[in-house]
Amino acid sequence: MDDKIYILVVEDELEVMDALIKDLEEFESYFPVEAANNADEAREVIDYIIDHDHKIGLILCDHVLPGQNGVDLLIDLQNRPEVAKSKKVLVTGQAGHEDTILAINKADLDHYIAKPWTKEDLEKVVVDQLTDYVINNKKNLLPYMAILDTEKLSDAIRTNQMTDH
Amino acid sequence: MNAQYKQLTSVIIGVIGFIIPFFLNIPGLSEAGHVALSIFFIAAIFWMLEPVPIYATSILVILLQVFFLSKQGVLFPEITGEYTPNSYTDFIGTLANPIIILFLGGFVLADAAVKFDLDKNLTRVLLKPFGSKPKFILLGLMVVTAILSAFMSNTATTAMMMTVILPIIARTQTSDPLRIGLALSIPFAANIGGIATPIGTPPNAVVIGALSTQGIDIAFTEWMVLAVPLVVIVLFATWLILMWLFKPASDRVEMDMKGVFQKNKEAIFVYVVFATTVILWITETFHGIGSSIIALIPVAALSLTGVLDKEGIRKLPWEVLWLVAGGISLGISMESTGLAEWIITSIEWSSFSTIFLIIAFSLVAIVMSNFLSNTVSATLLIPLAVSLANSGVAGEGFNLILVSLVIGVSASLAMMLPISTPPNAIAMSTGTLKTSDMTRAGFVIGIFGLLMVTLYALFYWPLILN
Repeated sequence: MDDKIYILVVEDELEVMDALIKDLEEFESYFPVEAANNADEAREVIDYIIDHDHKIGLILCDHVLPGQNGVDLLIDLQNRPEVAKSKKVLVTGQAGHEDTILAINKADLDHYIAKPWTKEDLEKVVVDQLTDYVINNKKNLLPYMAILDTEKLSDAIRTNQMTDH
Repeated sequence: MNAQYKQLTSVIIGVIGFIIPFFLNIPGLSEAGHVALSIFFIAAIFWMLEPVPIYATSILVILLQVFFLSKQGVLFPEITGEYTPNSYTDFIGTLANPIIILFLGGFVLADAAVKFDLDKNLTRVLLKPFGSKPKFILLGLMVVTAILSAFMSNTATTAMMMTVILPIIARTQTSDPLRIGLALSIPFAANIGGIATPIGTPPNAVVIGALSTQGIDIAFTEWMVLAVPLVVIVLFATWLILMWLFKPASDRVEMDMKGVFQKNKEAIFVYVVFATTVILWITETFHGIGSSIIALIPVAALSLTGVLDKEGIRKLPWEVLWLVAGGISLGISMESTGLAEWIITSIEWSSFSTIFLIIAFSLVAIVMSNFLSNTVSATLLIPLAVSLANSGVAGEGFNLILVSLVIGVSASLAMMLPISTPPNAIAMSTGTLKTSDMTRAGFVIGIFGLLMVTLYALFYWPLILN
């Protein structure tokens, strides 16, 4: 069970990126965090992670990026089966109505965080999304009990056949 | 890399263990016994070091026995003076042993209960009378956990009860020992409660399966009469021990369980089937219909009505049934080849008193189960006990049922480490307690359990069994 679950942050403004990374500190020892400044870099990072047989659990994506924008990136990523299962969250203040609808309909968007965000809100979203991801993609849920939604994980264990032996 | 290295080494050790007896000539042990010893070695090594899943080792055991020890196998096609080869159907037949069918019925019922939230709703109702004082809430949680785990798997019960206590823990001060008491009470109560009925936990299946191959059938009722008094005392003592080690600082705990009993047709049907089956099981001695036969009722009823569908059947924990079957199968070959008897006669048993033997078996079972799977510990020890009792070497009081019970019950009382049982692992993973907390409490309870098992084996069980 060597595969790690990554959190990918896609954001071009350095200060915002730093703030996001800082808010994700507590998760780092369980979920390594990788950063990308634009869509192309994001793809490179994703390739690197997939090639090393790891998984991407969560993508926190800004919308206004140099080059391809966040929503289009997320829509494209739906074509990659390994990334289709990842949880996708838009972190932005500048996605218009139509772009957001596109993201929901075509990119399987899981959540939308409007800037500016609070640390508590971000943490809650990360915990919720990763809990769902882990329940649907991992057999052994115990390593995540301490950091993610313990109750939800316990309930999944209750119904998901961890057995006596 | 480290894990792969360990895995490879374990496999090699196991294979070496398998090969060695083929090159030995142990006096007093038949040729078939040597083969059985080979299988025993690789099974024990693979079960203890776990280079492969324990249920896979169980199937390997059956394969090796069919291949090397059965009439249809390569080594013993004819009856010899030393060994009457089992038909291969004896070995593969363990997969449908009545105890396996009984457990299947239990699994189906438990699954349906979880699916319709019966476990959660029952918990909510049963906890109400216990009020809101921490010590009584703790007692209530333990009693409810034990009752549920007697009929459901200890692990599923623990997972469910975690969802009940986590909100309480979240609302309790970090410095309050109540948090630790709560977190430990659930796995402990689950492990202890599993002893109460035949279907409570897999080691019980190994006991019953081994006895049935010796021609002894224990009724559901009989098991409960033997086990429940022990369970009650050990549970109560555990409650006291946890309160003593982790005295609650607050004087009020809010229990806020929400939920309603599902009232749709399927749910009602499940409640009826559940209640009927349990009642029929508990009253087995009065109506005489075997519990394995009763077990077919929920399986049939729930499949016929679609409550148990194809997906549900596939999701049943078949690997647990394989695990138990392999254990029963190993016991068969150890008996019929004379291996178990040879192991027994190598020791001067007559110099040991009955009480010493009881304590010894109980202690070994508890220690082993702390580090290994409880089912594996029972599987490795029970054939020895069976042979010991059969050979008459150990004296009058050494009833076969008695000593098997001692081992089977003791195997469930090992709770010192996170690896001891899956419920322990779940509790540990929540991050609300330290390993040292678990070990301290588990040690005291283990000692008390050992004492109780010994007393019961000396006074109460012989009373019931005769």
